[in-house]
Amino acid sequence: MSDVANASGAEEAAAHDELRVIEALRQGDEVTFARLVDQYHASLRRVALFYVSNRAVADEVVQDAWLGVIQGIWAFEGRSSLKTWVFRILINRAKTRAAREGRTMPFASFGADDIGAPEAAVSPDRFWPADHPTEPGHWTSPPRDFGASPEHRLLGREAGEHLQKAIDALPANQRLVLTLRDVEGCSTEEACNALGIQETNGRVLLHRARAKVRAALEPYLEGG
Amino acid sequence: MGSSTDMPCREFVELVTAYLDGALSSADRERCDAHWRNCPECRAYLAQMQLVVGSLGQLRRREVEENGAERDRLLDLFRTRGLHNRESRERSVPLGMAGEFAAPGDHISYFWESEHEFDAAAGFLAAGVERDEGCVLLGHDAANARLLAGLERRGLAPDELRRRDRLHTVSGEQPADAVLGAIGDRIRTAVDRGVPMVRVLGNLGWEHPGWPAEADILRLEARVTDAVRNLASVVMCAYDVRGLSGRSLLLGGLECHPLTLRRAALRHNEHHVPAAQFLETLALDAA
Repeated sequence: MSDVANASGAEEAAAHDELRVIEALRQGDEVTFARLVDQYHASLRRVALFYVSNRAVADEVVQDAWLGVIQGIWAFEGRSSLKTWVFRILINRAKTRAAREGRTMPFASFGADDIGAPEAAVSPDRFWPADHPTEPGHWTSPPRDFGASPEHRLLGREAGEHLQKAIDALPANQRLVLTLRDVEGCSTEEACNALGIQETNGRVLLHRARAKVRAALEPYLEGG
Repeated sequence: MGSSTDMPCREFVELVTAYLDGALSSADRERCDAHWRNCPECRAYLAQMQLVVGSLGQLRRREVEENGAERDRLLDLFRTRGLHNRESRERSVPLGMAGEFAAPGDHISYFWESEHEFDAAAGFLAAGVERDEGCVLLGHDAANARLLAGLERRGLAPDELRRRDRLHTVSGEQPADAVLGAIGDRIRTAVDRGVPMVRVLGNLGWEHPGWPAEADILRLEARVTDAVRNLASVVMCAYDVRGLSGRSLLLGGLECHPLTLRRAALRHNEHHVPAAQFLETLALDAA
């Protein structure tokens, strides 16, 4: 009960804080704007590169997006979080630019049928078949415990490179959802909202992406 | 082993993302809860997954962010182009007519005489489409139809623009408050969806059947300037010099707009009267 009360209290405080940020931006508060830039600039650049061909173009797209934030803030009503809105503007500008460049882009014509063929999170041969007499669908080759303080291993430089390689190997749509959700820290709802896709479809892509990243790291982590 | 619950491990691993997102039905969530508590293998899987998600979140912090110069440039953009800067707004929005530029928040009256001049107003919309902005038509049917035909002549497809949410029509056949509200909503909704700006083109139906009386249209015009001053929008109202009454032209066209477009030049309009003063005079006239 008290957990719920605390959670909604924290949400309220965050919403209040966001209103203050919006108001400060409207009044031209440069410190607030600079903080926003520090918070999101690198992320916006990273996401822009999903859509356009090179860094110079990405920089233009990002600058355009910031201009959209600067000039749109008075009309922004907070139907979504400020963060989602900033990403949505960026994605819009990036799409327009990519279309102009004639590039194929993520979610170009993404509909409910476009999440692609089913993919298993874990290879089916690591489970007993469904008709197994005693343990249908249970692990034959289970994941092992990562052992004591696996975080340390995952946070090392080498593991970081493995992680990045695993992300880079993902199909573009999956990589984009995973980047917004897990790297940039949007909620699944926010990420899908910014991308203009259905939340259920976005979660399927996120699920596949995370499963692949885990699988790619598994041998590395268990070996340690 | 996990066989103590009725969920196979193979199903659990497929539900894990929705489970962590809190997106499962309560029945499925309880099945998942029960499963991992009884299944050490899936508990390990779940822990691995949480660890992976956690480390993805750390990736961002590793980056050494070198954006000092970039930051200064953006701050400069904020200073010069932000709409808090009311007095010296940079005219950076190509009007699409006469090679002129407007600033966001502008409310312009366009005095036209010839058919050629009327058709030029479609250029205002076309320039918006070119920049991926939204367009709103607030006009009587005949004017709207001609503008849409003008867009088609410029190689644009109004139906496709509507489908892409870049073209809307707002009815002027309603009270001033409702019109003002509808325009504001259109602008805010578009900006919320990430559209850079919205252009509104008015061809108000003075003395048209179904449209409000002259005084009501004037009350609307007087209030538009303040309503859009801080919004990412440019509003242009077309005034038919040969067809409209002198009073509509003077009070509506001149006194309600801070800027005029006439003879291929956008000019600051000294005849503009602040809304409060204008509305007060209008009320006295009526009394």
